[in-house]
Amino acid sequence: MTLTHHANGAGAIAPPAPRRRQGWQMLLLLAPVLVLILTVFDWPLLQTMYWSILDEDTGRLTLAHFREFWESQAYLRIIWRTLRIALTVTVVTILLGYPLAYWATRLSSGARFVVLGLVVMTFWVSILVRTYAWIVVLGSSGLINRSLMGMGLTEKPVQFLYNEVGIVIGMVNVLLPFLVLPLYAAMVRVDPRLMQVAQTMGARPMRVFWQVFFPLTVGALVTSAILVFILALGFYITPAILGGGKVPLVANMMDLLINRVANWNMAAVVSVVLLAMTLSLYALYQRLRDGRT
Amino acid sequence: MRLWLPLYGTLVLVFLCLPVLIVAPMSFSSAQSLEFPPPGFSLRWYAALFGNPVWIEAGRNSLILATVSSTIALFCGTTAAYVLVRGNFAGRAAVEANIIAPMIVPSIITAVALYIFFARAGILGSFGGLILGHTVLSVPYVVLVMQSAIRSFDPRIEQVAATLGASRWQVLTRITLPNIMPSALAAWIFAFVLSFDEVVITIFISGTHLTIPKRMFAELALQVNPTITAVATLLVGCNLIALGLLMLVARRGGVAGLVRP
Repeated sequence: MTLTHHANGAGAIAPPAPRRRQGWQMLLLLAPVLVLILTVFDWPLLQTMYWSILDEDTGRLTLAHFREFWESQAYLRIIWRTLRIALTVTVVTILLGYPLAYWATRLSSGARFVVLGLVVMTFWVSILVRTYAWIVVLGSSGLINRSLMGMGLTEKPVQFLYNEVGIVIGMVNVLLPFLVLPLYAAMVRVDPRLMQVAQTMGARPMRVFWQVFFPLTVGALVTSAILVFILALGFYITPAILGGGKVPLVANMMDLLINRVANWNMAAVVSVVLLAMTLSLYALYQRLRDGRT
Repeated sequence: MRLWLPLYGTLVLVFLCLPVLIVAPMSFSSAQSLEFPPPGFSLRWYAALFGNPVWIEAGRNSLILATVSSTIALFCGTTAAYVLVRGNFAGRAAVEANIIAPMIVPSIITAVALYIFFARAGILGSFGGLILGHTVLSVPYVVLVMQSAIRSFDPRIEQVAATLGASRWQVLTRITLPNIMPSALAAWIFAFVLSFDEVVITIFISGTHLTIPKRMFAELALQVNPTITAVATLLVGCNLIALGLLMLVARRGGVAGLVRP
């Protein structure tokens, strides 16, 4: 009571700024970021969309570039390959990431700190470094091949690099933390008493896991898997280095279209297609995530 | 189940950390080829790195670029975060979505868009354009970190200051900013590391300007040169120092979200 009274008294001496002035101040604070985003992000994206339907010779709008895209085997083949690799990467990431996150939840707090610390650490290491190391590991005279040949499992070195296998390994390595960390966060939120109840009711550990724990975490698994898939669609560095230019994905094709053949129209078309795929998947991601909480 | 889970988990963890575990020892190798384990210890690749003016120039550019772009991003992002948390206006959600968008749109798309835009505007390959590109990319992260910082800071403290007669500017500079300083530092480190490691946009719009990741990428595409292992190890070291700083700041000031998306 005294506090409100005091506040009212002070308010009477110095009335708060009128709403309209406050609005201007807010706009002024928002101005730097708006100028930046509008000119260096929104406008370039709009311009890219414009280039996807621009006929350079006549200056008119045309759908010819999109038609060329749909009718060309080369572009579609790369899109399919990208989707296939992104899907493979997502599945492998789930198979590796879910058990890792689950294991982390069952560790003592000290061990858990170490495990999660290592996962966060890899997040912070440059993607170039993480990709580069695989050349050393997977190369024909690399660590794996020399071990395989040393054990007599193979006569000739196995080709891991410059094909889809190498790309998948490199991408899974980079994307794993994106699945493990949100999944871990969801797993620790599951009430352990639920599993205890199931156990006291006589359910075996496997049944407790599959009928109680897994259904409670599958939502988080799906949303983080979508995120991994989205990120995989736009990968440029890993396929460029580990694919050696032999297995281009969509991003590498865009690089080629801009920096080699200077076909802005087609680069713009591919941008629009990739953008549409990314944004619709992201909308799905948000919907599922909001539906869960 | 009891036995295979720890085993499987450890193997996945080893797979995750393998690149770092491999690169660091290799950089101290005495061999010309990429042999693992290295046959002997030497610092020759570090000597080669620091003796090469191209790498030195790339390092200088990277430092300037990361410092300038993260500072601009911190300024723009913090003011924006303040308005997004405290302001109440129509279209707030749309504005926020737009500011976060560069984080969601694959950077290859941003790279192509910036290439076309800068080429048309005649500033393709300029250092200023490169700074702008990096700033746009790190602004969303700054906004996210600062939004959570401002949200966790009790608005009643600001209201009390305002009712006691402080102007909005005074409230901002004397009350709000000092309180969110630790998060601001964390956001800056975030933005700095993002810019320092950025490759895709840089490759597209930097023209003849070199940065460390760009030079590294170019070397990797050409041949396998052990000098790269020295660069990579230094990068890992710098990133870990940045992560350590961030955790230190976070512990002091309660910053949420150490994860770099």
